[in-house]
Amino acid sequence: MGVKVVKRYGDTFKEKIYISAIFGGMKTTFKHFIKNLSDASNIHTLSYPEELPKDITPQYHGVHRLTHRKDDNSIACVACFMCATACPAECIEIVAQERDDDVDEKMPAIFNIDLLECIFCAYCVEACPCDAIRMDTGIFSLIGNKREDFVYNKEKLLSLKGISQEEYSLAK
Amino acid sequence: MNTFLILLPLILTILFSLITVPVLVWMERRVAALIQDRLGPNRCNIKGIRLGGLVQSVADMMKLVQKEEFLPSHIKNKFYHIIAPSIAFMSAFLTFMVIPYADNIKIESTTYYMQALPIDLGVLWFLAFAGLGVYGIILGGWASHSKYSLIGSIRAAAQVIGYEVAMGLSLVSILITYGTISLNEMVIYQTQNFFYIPAWGIFIQPLASLIFVVTAFAETNRAPFDAAEGESEIVAGYHTEYGAMKFGLYFVAEYIAMAASGALIVTMLLGGYQLPYLNTQDLINNFDLILWILIILTIVMSFLFIGWIRSHNILVLNGLNETKLYTSFILIFSTFFVILMSYYSFGYGGANDIGVMILQFVIFTLKLFVLHFVFIWVRWTLPRFRYDQTQKLGWNILLPLSLFNIFITAIVVVGVNYGS
Repeated sequence: MGVKVVKRYGDTFKEKIYISAIFGGMKTTFKHFIKNLSDASNIHTLSYPEELPKDITPQYHGVHRLTHRKDDNSIACVACFMCATACPAECIEIVAQERDDDVDEKMPAIFNIDLLECIFCAYCVEACPCDAIRMDTGIFSLIGNKREDFVYNKEKLLSLKGISQEEYSLAK
Repeated sequence: MNTFLILLPLILTILFSLITVPVLVWMERRVAALIQDRLGPNRCNIKGIRLGGLVQSVADMMKLVQKEEFLPSHIKNKFYHIIAPSIAFMSAFLTFMVIPYADNIKIESTTYYMQALPIDLGVLWFLAFAGLGVYGIILGGWASHSKYSLIGSIRAAAQVIGYEVAMGLSLVSILITYGTISLNEMVIYQTQNFFYIPAWGIFIQPLASLIFVVTAFAETNRAPFDAAEGESEIVAGYHTEYGAMKFGLYFVAEYIAMAASGALIVTMLLGGYQLPYLNTQDLINNFDLILWILIILTIVMSFLFIGWIRSHNILVLNGLNETKLYTSFILIFSTFFVILMSYYSFGYGGANDIGVMILQFVIFTLKLFVLHFVFIWVRWTLPRFRYDQTQKLGWNILLPLSLFNIFITAIVVVGVNYGS
C-alpha cells in the first residue's frame, strides 16, 4: 500500500494574496460578456412562446394518447384495467363494455385521464399489454380555462397523433 | 444664466443619484445575464418599445410603489422601523453632494463651482455619510425585531467598523500625496504628469487605491462583501421584514451608495473629470480641434451602434418597429449634435468654457459608468466572502497594509520635498 500524496493548493504566496485568482476569474467573465455582447446568437436561451423547443423526442413523457388497431382502425384498448391499477396517482377512470364486432371481447365505454392529477410517470404505458396507451404525443404544454378541460376523454385521447414512427398499436 | 449655473450641480446630483438607479438596475441585470450566457430582461414593453430592457426596471419600481405598505404586528418600534430605510437612502443621496462634475467655471469674474456643496472638506463629508448609511441598515435590522435581521445588521456593523479603519488610513496616504482634502484640487493635482504617465491616484498610489476600492465595496455592502444580506444563510438579512417601498428605499439606497462610491473613486483615483495629459486650460485653448475629433467620433459611433442594433434585435415583438425607430432617433440626434458642434468649431460661438464644462461632465459620466460596470462585473464574478474571512481580511491584512503604506508614502513625500 503506497501513500498517495494529494497536492494541496493555497499555500504559496501568490495564491494567498488572491489577486491573481480574482483577476483570472474576472477575465473569464469578461470574455463571456464580450462574446455575448458582440454576437447574441451565441446565447442558447429560447424565446419560449415564439420559439419552441426542438429536442422533444418520442421518449419524452408528453400527454397520453390511445392507439388504434392496424387492421380496422378501431380502438386497441381491451379495458383490462392494468393501467388504472398501475397508476400511482389514480387518475385513470375506465368503464368497460362488451364488444360486439368480433374483433375482441372488451373495450372501454369511458376512458378518462385527469391530467391535473397525472404525474406523467408512464407506468400506465409500461403496464399496458396491448400497446394501447402511449405518451409519445410530444405535447408538453397543457392549457385550459377550467378544471374540466384537463380531463381528457376517450375520443380526445384517440384523436391525438404521436410523433413516433409507429402510429398503430404494435400488439399482436 | 447665473441662477442656472448655481443650480446646475444640484440638478446633476439629483439626476446622478435618482435617474441613474433604473439604469443601474438595468445594467446589473443585463451584464449579469450576458456574463452568465443568458439574455436578460427583454419582454417588458410600452407599445413594443423596450429600450433594450430598460422599461423592466421602471415597471419594477412602479410595482414597488403600488404595493401595500405592510407592517408586521410584532414590531414594537414602528418609528425606527419606518425611518431606517429613509436614513440609508438620504445618506447615500447626500454623499453625492461633494463630487465635482466639472472644473470651476469663471464667467465675468464670478466663479461657479460644479459641486452641489462646494466645501473643502469633501472627503470627510463622504466618510461621514457613507458611515451613516450603514447606520440605517443597523437601525432597520434592530427595529425589525427578527433574528435574521438582527444578525444581518450586526454583521453590517462589524464589517463597517473593520473596513472604515482601513478605508480612512488608505485615504490618509492618498491625502498625503495630494496635499489637500478638497476634491476639486485633487482632480487638478491629477492633471499633472508623472514620468510621462498621468498622475492619477491609481498610478501614483496603487496600494492605497486597491485598499480603497476593496473597502468601498465593503462600505456599500456590495458583493463580495454582502454578508449583511446573505440570502443563503439569513433569508434577506437586514431587510427581511421590509416590503413594498420601504424595501424599495433600501434597494435604491444600495445603488445610490454604489454610484456615490464610484464617483469618489473616479474623482480621487481616476483623474475625475479630466482627460489624461490635458488640463482645463488646454481644453479651452484647443476647443476647435477637440470638437472636430468629437464630430468624427459621433459619426463613427452612431453608425457602429446602428449596425449593432440591426444585427441584435433578435426577439421582435408586436407593436412599433423598434429597429427603425432607434435608427431614426440615433440619426436625428447625431445629426443635431454634429451640426451644433460644427457651428462652434468654425468659430461662430465663443462659449468655449461652457463647452469644456459640458465635455468634462460627459467625461466624468463615462468614467463613472465604466466604474459601475466594474462594480457589477465584480459582483457577478466573485463568490461572497464568509463572515470570518471578511473580518480577517479587514483587520489582519488591509489595516496593516494601509498603515505600512502611510509610512512609505510619508517617507517618499518628505524625501521629495526635502530634495527639492
